[in-house]
Amino acid sequence: MRSITLPILAVFFLAALSLPVFDAEAASDLANVEQMSESEIMKLGEKMYREGILPSGKPMEAFIRGDVEVDSTAFSCSSCHLRAGLGSYEGGVITPPTNGKKLYAPYRRPPSMGDSQDRAGRYIYAKTVVERPAYDRESLAYSLRFGIDPAGQTFNDVMPRYPLSERDMGILVRYLELLSSKPSPGAGGTEFNFATIITDDVGNDDREALLNPIRLFIKQKNQQMALYKEFLKFDYSPTIDMKYAFHNATLDIWELSGAPDTWGSQLHEYLKKKPVFAVLGGISNKSWQPVHDFCEEQRLPCLFPITDLPVVSDRDWYTFYFNKGFYQEGEALARYLNRHETYSGTSRIIQIVEDSEKGKALAAGFNRGWGELDRPAVTTVTLTATELNNFALIGRLLAKENPSVILLWTGDTVLTALPELLKPYGNGVTLFMSAGYLGQNVLKTDQSLRDRVYFTYPYRLTPYVGIKEGGRDARVPILATAKDLGNRRITSRTVSMLQQVALRGLNLIYDNHYRDHLLDVMGMQMDLIVNDYERLSFGPGQRFASKGCYVLKLGKGESPELIPVSEWVIH
Amino acid sequence: MYRKSGLRPVKQMLMILVFVLVCPAMVFAEQKYKRSYEEYSLPDVVLVNQDGKRVGLKSLIEVGRPVVVDFIYATCTTICPVLSAGYVNLQNKIADPKQRPLMISISIDPENDNPKKMKEYLKRYNAKPGWEFLTGSRADIDRVMRAFNAYIPDKMSHYPLNLIRSPKDGKWTRLLGILSSGEFLKEYMAVVNR
Ligand code: HEC
Repeated sequence: MRSITLPILAVFFLAALSLPVFDAEAASDLANVEQMSESEIMKLGEKMYREGILPSGKPMEAFIRGDVEVDSTAFSCSSCHLRAGLGSYEGGVITPPTNGKKLYAPYRRPPSMGDSQDRAGRYIYAKTVVERPAYDRESLAYSLRFGIDPAGQTFNDVMPRYPLSERDMGILVRYLELLSSKPSPGAGGTEFNFATIITDDVGNDDREALLNPIRLFIKQKNQQMALYKEFLKFDYSPTIDMKYAFHNATLDIWELSGAPDTWGSQLHEYLKKKPVFAVLGGISNKSWQPVHDFCEEQRLPCLFPITDLPVVSDRDWYTFYFNKGFYQEGEALARYLNRHETYSGTSRIIQIVEDSEKGKALAAGFNRGWGELDRPAVTTVTLTATELNNFALIGRLLAKENPSVILLWTGDTVLTALPELLKPYGNGVTLFMSAGYLGQNVLKTDQSLRDRVYFTYPYRLTPYVGIKEGGRDARVPILATAKDLGNRRITSRTVSMLQQVALRGLNLIYDNHYRDHLLDVMGMQMDLIVNDYERLSFGPGQRFASKGCYVLKLGKGESPELIPVSEWVIH
Repeated sequence: MYRKSGLRPVKQMLMILVFVLVCPAMVFAEQKYKRSYEEYSLPDVVLVNQDGKRVGLKSLIEVGRPVVVDFIYATCTTICPVLSAGYVNLQNKIADPKQRPLMISISIDPENDNPKKMKEYLKRYNAKPGWEFLTGSRADIDRVMRAFNAYIPDKMSHYPLNLIRSPKDGKWTRLLGILSSGEFLKEYMAVVNR
C-alpha cells in the first residue's frame, strides 16, 4: 500500500510545483511548433516516426511495461503502426491506426484474438482497447506519454510510453495529423488508375504475355463493379468486406523507348498526364534501375515487374520484386559453395564474367554473398563478348590460374567450347553457370561434362527439394524438366502479381487509399506457395519475395532430367 | 527575442520524473504473464548463427550455464521488439557478464534472416556478447519450434514466449506473455537460485 501511495503523492507534489512552468513554457513551445511549415514537420516528424530520432538528433526514449527501457532507434512507431500509420495485425496483436484522421474520430476496432478469454489455451498478453472517443491534441499527447486514452483506458504493454518534451511532442502530433491525410493520387472514390511499363527491347510475344492477364484483370474489375451496382439497386446491404472489395479500374501502358537514361523523363510525362495509384508489373530485358528510381522518387508502388535486373537495396521501399534476379543466383551460389568444403576449402576459385549487365549482376551477387560470409574475394576476370570468343585466351587464363572451381557468368559460346578447354584438367574442375541466363542453352552442355557443370536455378521444382538439412530427401522424381529451362513465366508470374495486388492488397485496404498503406498491407501477408517459386515470404520492408535458388545438374540425353544437387538454398 | 530557455532542462527533468513515477505504479499492479515448468527434448539440428557459424543446437543449449530462448524474426513488428528489448534489459541489469545467461533468439523467418541481417539486428539492439541469433533450414526451424511446443505455421501468427533453462536439472521455465524487466530478472534469478 505504502509503496503505491508514495509515488502518487510525489506526483501530485511535483505536478503542483511544475504546473506554472509547464504552462508558460508549453505555450511558447507549442506556438513555435504551430509556426513550423508542413514540410518541416514532415521532415522532423518522419525522422521520429520512422527512425526514432528526435529533432535534436538524439534517440527517442521509450518505456515498455514501466521499466523496460528502449532506445527507439531499435524500433520506432513505424515498426508497429507501419509506414502509412494505419496499423497492423500480427501475432494476435492489433496495432491500431495512428493517423490524425482516425485518431480525431471515435474508433471501434475489429475484434481480435485477445478478446475471448484464453481461446486455444493461449494466455492473453495484449488485449487492445476496443472502443474509444475521439482524441484531441492534448489527449493524444497525454496518451503517448502515459498510455491512457481519452476514456481513461490504459493501453496494453506492447505500446511503449514516450516521455517527449513539449516541442518534440508537438512536432510528432502534427506529423500524425498530416500522415495519411489525403488519398494518394490515382485513387478516386471507387476507381483506381493503374499503369504497366514496357520497354522497347521487349518482343511482341512477351509483351502480349504480360498484357493479356492485366487487361483481363481490369475488365473483370469493371464487370464486378457493374454487377455490384446492380445488386445495390435491389437493396442489397453490403458487409464491410463487400463494400470495399469492388472498384472500377483503368490501365495505361507506359511504353519506354530509347536510351535508359531518358526513361525517367518519359515516365514523368506519363504520370503528369494521368496520375496512377500503382504500377502493375511491367517488363524489360534491361536494368530496371531507371524505373525503380522513378518510383522511389514519386513514392509510387511498382508491383512485381518481370525483370532479372532489379535494384538490390535493403532500404528502398516502393518496388516489390519476385526475387533479386541474376544477383540472387550469384548470391545463392556463394552460400552453396560456402557450405561445401570441397569447393570453398580451396582458394583456387576463379570467376569469369561477361562484360554485360547480366554477367555483372551474377558476379555482384556472388561477390556480395561471398563477402558477407567473410570469405576472401575470388579471382575475377571480366571479358568482353569478343574476348569470350577467343578460346585461346581463355585457355591461357585457365592455365595460369589452374582453378578447381570455375564460375562462368557468361552465355553459351564458352559452354560449347568447354570439352576442349577443360581437357588439360581431367576431372578436377567443377563449373557453375546460370540457368537463368542460359535458358534452353543449358542443354548444350556436353554429355561428358554433365557431372561437372552445375547450374543455378531460381525457380520451383516439384516436389519441393530440401525437406531435410543438406539432404535431398526421398528420391521422388522431379517434375520440372528441361522444357522448363528458359521459360520466362511472364504470364504465370503476372497472374501471381495480380492475385497479390487484388487479394492481398486492394481488397484489404478498404477506404484507406494510400499508396504506402497498400505496400504496408502487402508486406504483412502470410507466406505463399505459387507456381514459379518455392515460397514467397513477406514482412515489413522485405521487398524480394522469393529468397532461394537451387543448384542442379542435367541428366543424360536430349531432354534430360533436372537433378538437384542442393536443397532450396536460402543461406 | 527573449526566450526562457534556461528552464528547459528543469522542465524536462520534471516531466521524466513524473513519467517514471506514474507508469510503474500503474503497471506493477498485476502480473500479466503465465509461468509453467516443462521438460523438452531437443532435436539434434545444426543451425547458423549471426557470424555464419554452424552450431549444433543441443550442444549449444545443454551446458552448465542458464540459457534463455525466444523466437523472433528480424523484420517483425509488435512482439519481437518487445521481446528483444527484454533481452537487452536483462543483459544490462546483470553487471557481471559471468552471471548472465546465454541468450538465444531463434528465427522464425529463415528465408529472410541470414547471418548478415541477424548481425544487423543484434547491433540495432546494442546486444552484448552472449546473445546468439540462429537461423536454419525451414524444416529444422519447424522441428525446433515443435520441440519447444511453440510451433506456428506462419510467422505472422506468433506470440511472445521466453524459455529459461536451468543447468542443474535441464528443466525449463516457460513464460508466456510480456514481462517487465523486473519480472524477467526475477524469473531468471529464480532459475539461478534453484
Ligand atoms: C512495439 C509496438 C509499438 C510501437 C513501437 C508503437 N506503438 Fe503505438 N500502439 C501499439 C499497440 C499494440 C497499441 C494498442 C494499445 C491498446 O489499444 O491497448 C498502440 C496504440 C497507440 C495509440 C492509440 C490509438 C488509439 O486508437 O487509441 C497511438 C496514438 C499510438 N499507439 C501512437 C504511437 C506512436 C506515435 C508511436 C511512436 C512514437 C508508437 N505508437 C509506437 C504498438 C506500438
